[in-house]
Amino acid sequence: MTDPHRILLLTTLLGALGMWLMLPRGTARGRGTGIVLATIALGLGASQVPRLGVWLDDSVFLVLAAATVVSAAAAVTFRNPLYCAIWFGQTLLGTAGLFLFTGAQFLAVATIVVYAGAILVTFLFVLMLAQPEGKSVYDRVSWEALISAVTGIVIVGILSMTIGRVFASPGPPGEPLAAATADELASGVLTAAHVARLGGELFGRHLIAVEVTGTLLLVALVGAAVIVAQGREGFRVQGSVPEADSPSNSEPRTLNPEPS
Amino acid sequence: MPYEVALLNNYLIVGALLFGIGMIGFLSRRNMIVMFLSAEMMLQGVSLSLVAWSRFHNHFGGQMLVLFIIAVAACEAAIALALVTTLFRRSGRLDIADWHALREANQPPFCDEPLPEDPSDRPPQWPRLAPAGVQPEIPREKTDYRPKV
Repeated sequence: MTDPHRILLLTTLLGALGMWLMLPRGTARGRGTGIVLATIALGLGASQVPRLGVWLDDSVFLVLAAATVVSAAAAVTFRNPLYCAIWFGQTLLGTAGLFLFTGAQFLAVATIVVYAGAILVTFLFVLMLAQPEGKSVYDRVSWEALISAVTGIVIVGILSMTIGRVFASPGPPGEPLAAATADELASGVLTAAHVARLGGELFGRHLIAVEVTGTLLLVALVGAAVIVAQGREGFRVQGSVPEADSPSNSEPRTLNPEPS
Repeated sequence: MPYEVALLNNYLIVGALLFGIGMIGFLSRRNMIVMFLSAEMMLQGVSLSLVAWSRFHNHFGGQMLVLFIIAVAACEAAIALALVTTLFRRSGRLDIADWHALREANQPPFCDEPLPEDPSDRPPQWPRLAPAGVQPEIPREKTDYRPKV
């Protein structure tokens, strides 16, 4: 029973079952069971990952990783899309913490500022304009919950097993899996002037990519404005927008699309 | 297992978990906003893996790519939300099932779970209070003449 492969298999099965029960399925009956099963799966999986050796690092990493994964599962399974967005904000905070734990200081702050501060707020604006009542009828059901839960957890299981197998084996001779030493890291990624090195790398080696990204942002801004403006009456340019094949035009709108 | 290798291992597993959970949400939810949120979560999983590899190989390239992923995700969010707004204008809902007409020609429309009854369709049940006390005598001037409109 303590065979790691068996435990990983159990983790996968319990995780898939828990995610399926937690997904919105029209009733609220299995959600408690799903939460319990998913927590058990998370605990089993956390017992199998290799320890870092330093108890403080271990505990900080486990707390951050647990916060990230739990809020990710919550962001996907809650029925109110507003709560999904808030849980996604928590996922971003967990990810930023994990970036900080690795030494990527700038990326941690950039994630919070750009992702949680701009992208998430834009989501909330659209939710406010489009669905101000919060929960709606189509939020309480999902497509093919079982197949998608099984597929997602199978992908996670395959990746985890591959990762575990690669790092557990000594590797082929002649090409060892060599990590950077502490001295190399102190003068490389973990240097005290991390942001300065990052800036030097960004505007030295990736200068063209930075300029292209700036242009891309401008194009996206103009494109988003044009797309939203084109939908309004009175703005349509002659002949540029084809006849809309919207459901209100073609077929009577029903709540449940009937299979023909 | 040495520290750096175990750190890389753990980060890759958390990245894979984020990616898998995002994929589950993208495939199964019907709300367009939540679908897009799950796609962003997949990007976060990939960013975590890239940062872990950057630390392992002591190279800034992974963090550069994550920076560009953040910038491109912002552009993608702008365009996607513009499209969602346009779709919402046409159908009035954020449901992706309204756009079944965009499927391939030989696919039947698919809906495996009927929508539950909308609670706002039912008329609201107001509480009924028992009448208490005597109805006050309101003089006729107060009911006929209003000093302020």
